[in-house]
Amino acid sequence: MRTTVELKLLNLLKLTAVFAVVVSCSVCGTMGSAEQPISFELDVQPVLTSAGCNAGACHGKQRGQNGFQLSLLGFDADFDFDQITQQARGRRLFPASPEQSLFLQKATAELPHGGGQRFATDSFQYSVLSKWIQQGATRWVTGEPKLELVELTQRDFALKPDETQALKVTATYSDGSTRDVTDATTYLANEAAVVAVDAHGKMRAGLLPGETAIMARYMNHICVANVVIPQTRSLAAEYYAQLPRRNFIDDLVYAKLQKTATQPSAPVDDATFMRRAFTDLIGRLPSVIEAREFLDTESENKREYLVDRLLERPEYVDHWANQWADLLRPNPYRVGIKAVMNYDNWIRQQFRDNVRYDEFVRKLIEAKGSTWQNGAATLYRDRREPEEIAPLISQLFMGVRLECAKCHHHPFEKWSQRDFYQFAAYFAKVDRKGTGLSPPISGGEEVVFVSAKGTVKHPVTSEALEPHPLFGQTPEIAEGIDPRSYLADWMTSKENAYFAKVQVNRVWAALMGRGFVEPVDDIRSTNPATNPELLDALAKHFQNSDYDLKDLLKTIALSSVYSLSSTPTDTNVGDRLNYSRHYRHRLRAEVLLDAVADITETPNTLEGMWPEARANQVWTYRVDSMFLDTFGRPNENQDPPCERTKDSTVTQALHLMNSPEIDRRIRSDEGRVARLAKSAMTATEIVNELYLSVFSRYPNSVELAYAVALLDSAGDKRRGTIEDLMWAMLNAPECHIQN
Amino acid sequence: MLINRNCEGMRRRDCLRLGLGGLIAGGLSGALRARASDNPALLTRQADACILIWMDGGPSHYETFDPKPDAPIEIRGQFSSIPTQTPGIHFSQPMKRLASISNDLAIVRSIRHDQGNHGAGNHYMMTGAPPRIPVGCGAFVSFHPSLGSVVAQQIGAPNGIPPYFSLPSMSRSGGPNFLGAKYAPFVVPDSPTISSFRVRDVTIPNNLTDAQFTSRQDIRKHIDQLQRIQEEAAGDPAVAADEFFQQGLQLITSREAQAAFNIHAEPDTIRDAYGRNGFGQRALLARRLVKAGVPFVTLYDGGWDHHENIFEAFNKKMPDFESSIAALVQDLRQQGMLERTLVIALGEFGRTPKVNERGGRDHWSNAMSVMFAGGGTPGGQVVGATDRQGYAAIERVLSPESFVSTIYKKLGIDPNHILYTPEGRPTHLVSEPNPIAELMG
Repeated sequence: MRTTVELKLLNLLKLTAVFAVVVSCSVCGTMGSAEQPISFELDVQPVLTSAGCNAGACHGKQRGQNGFQLSLLGFDADFDFDQITQQARGRRLFPASPEQSLFLQKATAELPHGGGQRFATDSFQYSVLSKWIQQGATRWVTGEPKLELVELTQRDFALKPDETQALKVTATYSDGSTRDVTDATTYLANEAAVVAVDAHGKMRAGLLPGETAIMARYMNHICVANVVIPQTRSLAAEYYAQLPRRNFIDDLVYAKLQKTATQPSAPVDDATFMRRAFTDLIGRLPSVIEAREFLDTESENKREYLVDRLLERPEYVDHWANQWADLLRPNPYRVGIKAVMNYDNWIRQQFRDNVRYDEFVRKLIEAKGSTWQNGAATLYRDRREPEEIAPLISQLFMGVRLECAKCHHHPFEKWSQRDFYQFAAYFAKVDRKGTGLSPPISGGEEVVFVSAKGTVKHPVTSEALEPHPLFGQTPEIAEGIDPRSYLADWMTSKENAYFAKVQVNRVWAALMGRGFVEPVDDIRSTNPATNPELLDALAKHFQNSDYDLKDLLKTIALSSVYSLSSTPTDTNVGDRLNYSRHYRHRLRAEVLLDAVADITETPNTLEGMWPEARANQVWTYRVDSMFLDTFGRPNENQDPPCERTKDSTVTQALHLMNSPEIDRRIRSDEGRVARLAKSAMTATEIVNELYLSVFSRYPNSVELAYAVALLDSAGDKRRGTIEDLMWAMLNAPECHIQN
Repeated sequence: MLINRNCEGMRRRDCLRLGLGGLIAGGLSGALRARASDNPALLTRQADACILIWMDGGPSHYETFDPKPDAPIEIRGQFSSIPTQTPGIHFSQPMKRLASISNDLAIVRSIRHDQGNHGAGNHYMMTGAPPRIPVGCGAFVSFHPSLGSVVAQQIGAPNGIPPYFSLPSMSRSGGPNFLGAKYAPFVVPDSPTISSFRVRDVTIPNNLTDAQFTSRQDIRKHIDQLQRIQEEAAGDPAVAADEFFQQGLQLITSREAQAAFNIHAEPDTIRDAYGRNGFGQRALLARRLVKAGVPFVTLYDGGWDHHENIFEAFNKKMPDFESSIAALVQDLRQQGMLERTLVIALGEFGRTPKVNERGGRDHWSNAMSVMFAGGGTPGGQVVGATDRQGYAAIERVLSPESFVSTIYKKLGIDPNHILYTPEGRPTHLVSEPNPIAELMG
């Protein structure tokens, strides 16, 4: 039985040891006294973690490394104990002569070790491990306390630029004793450019004001430090009071800006708002007629009128269904092209019918029937095992990334393997009949149904697990009822805040250029939201509207914040978190390709699609398009499908500049340029039309004069000059970057 | 301990900056010197570029590099075994031209794996990782970044040239996976045999004159009025777009780069030597691309899945094909590029020992032959062996992991490199990072 006094003594010894051998390890151990029992969990495991033995790239990876496997980061002490003491016929340990143990000789590189030397024979780590072996390598020490709590002594920090400060981590045990585990803790900076952290928990602030979080993990406990580098200036409260406000979004964004003394950018003009609203809400540019109509109208609420009308357009369906298809679309080589098409049709139909978001999710979770009748059933054709479905569902609809917990305790979260498999158990009874997968055609029809039997077992204990949600409860599952319906009830219930949060975060990111949480579907305490109050308020609003997506879009689009300019003020140029200005972003591949079609007046010619089909209507990656590939679209043949690149690349620049496709479309005899050249329109009229069609605005007087002069001097090269103008505009960032 | 979640973002910017260095033969070296400081493996690289000839379908080892003249007729097939330039090494009868330059070639006869269908076999050989779940035969899958995409990310190319070309299409698992779409292959589908051929996008379109291209630049300058936010902290994508536009423009206006892309500038004798067919001309284009600084080119060729009439098919297809490969190796030697350019030819797997009732051979992953040339590979050697009847690799049994590790090592990429998936999960570039020693010289 260890007393507090003894533990204090141990800490002293530890300090001495650290100084003596200049090796940083704060694990508790005994340096000389054989009486001090070494605990496997409290002493040995932290050594293995801090030395990196059980890291994901080493023995912690699935199947281990060179035949020796440890649980990732030491989350499973029983497993590790078994591996070290029993596996490989027990040859890893040699209690009679600890220094001869393979376990130690590898770690010190006395024997060839792929991971090199992890510590020296005179190190503190070595001493802990060898003592443990010498004492008989026991799993438990008599009366051993449990690690109960790991805490940062300070959780909230305000640093000056370039200032450093040390984190301190304390572990508390069931007997009330504590240890300083700062050096054996792992640290991870969310944004190292804002605040970096080193291996010893020393933080260093960056040079600019900002805020971020730092995660600290000791064994399977995680804590988070919030760090701000505040602005040194301050702005008067009256300044914020007079800012234009349309709804609660503005209040909460300005509140945050006031805290960081950031001045928002000015509101944008009508043309910029219009281009944003069109590309964000329906994924296309306004036509010349539409642009004129909006810009030439004098009306107080014309922006609201525009948003309302856009949300009723068929392109709304294509644009938002396409964004969901990014998340749901399976590999057609795997599930069959017909199933993929049905699934795509189904998704589009939900948006066409303006199905409430909770209903949309419920239909997916409870999907059954033929993959040739009910497109949603394709979800279960693609994901065939409960453990394949569960992490997809939790990530899509809750922003909870469970995948890690399938094989080991989640390294950044509280989820255990038990949590994972209990959640997966809701899908245990999903069964299929008909023709299964037979790639690459997989053309058969399959019927998804709920069977009377089917269980999910814990992979380690083999215990059959009852369905259980990630938190809270669901009622006992009645005989003959689909367990998934209980999950759907729980998932869409207003008690489950994750459900609304991840979706509003996704929508917010699509319109505002950055989610409160990034990646947008990774909501966890260790990845805090930039404006949690606003995320909560939007989620609440979404719940109160009964999950009405159009209402959510409208609420965001009509906020004053949505209409802020991208041009920075004196105080917000470095702001990329708090929405004090609009964050520019490149248009999505499909939106841009459709824009090319509209600008050049040449329809897309997409294989496997109907004539004049729009890129936003493409239902599989197998529809070839060099343009879409260049600007990036998820490839559902890849697992995971490549995420969409928001970045520009040199191949994109080259494609707009030189591709035969763009060249052909600008020059087409059926296209806009040919029509303008043939028409009786004046140079001014032509230039106006070009500016409205490409940039969605009128040219200013200088721009007009320049282009008109070009056309006037073109003589018989009028068409060629219009081609040149259109090429120049297509290649200007104003065309492909949303301002 | 510190987890570095994303070391990749850094690399990309490095590439961008370095992209503005020199061009054409030797132009890479400046960039590489700069890169070598944070990647010591680059200093020991043996090759600057790799041309991977992918024979889709899985070419028979019997009819290429591993003849079994003493096996019964139903196994040895219709072709005889022919001597090569190298005493003691024999190829199969169709490999006549390659036999005559065998001192430049190394043949590995003992790579084997357990993925006997196209989707899985392609994935294993293209990425060095077996597919994570069972995949079907015709599947196009990707669970791990391909050779070409990794090279694109780790090495890059100067001056805005796409670093990874795939001609005329991409191989099934030749994609970037989690490295991101920017490392996807640059596919040039058009045939270089036609007189109007141009490499898409990196040359100006056919109808446009240079004068018109220049005047368009001038117009664009006037038209482009979007205000830029120059402060780096703002992360303005328009500023990034400018950088890429300028790189693209430099590529278009660089005389040397444009000459490299212009296959029509090649003398007829050379074009004839490569063969006036799609594959031959693409092989020639690959050589020109490598000279321009492209570090990885895949030459994809379909139709090697000979479940029937394999001998007729070889008689028809192989003479042109193997003489194009021989021409490529010889030309690289003549250009002084062979030492620094790795040429590899392979498919998914070998083929069944017994000729089936349709006169073909079926999939067989217990043995396959892979051809290596250049890039510091000692020629005139055979590595490993199959048994007397070619059923299985029995000597120096080698894995796809060792195959890709060899390529990475030669190009100066550490196969032990740790990549991070978007979930933050670390994964080794190659799980067993041991190159094939005999090929390393």
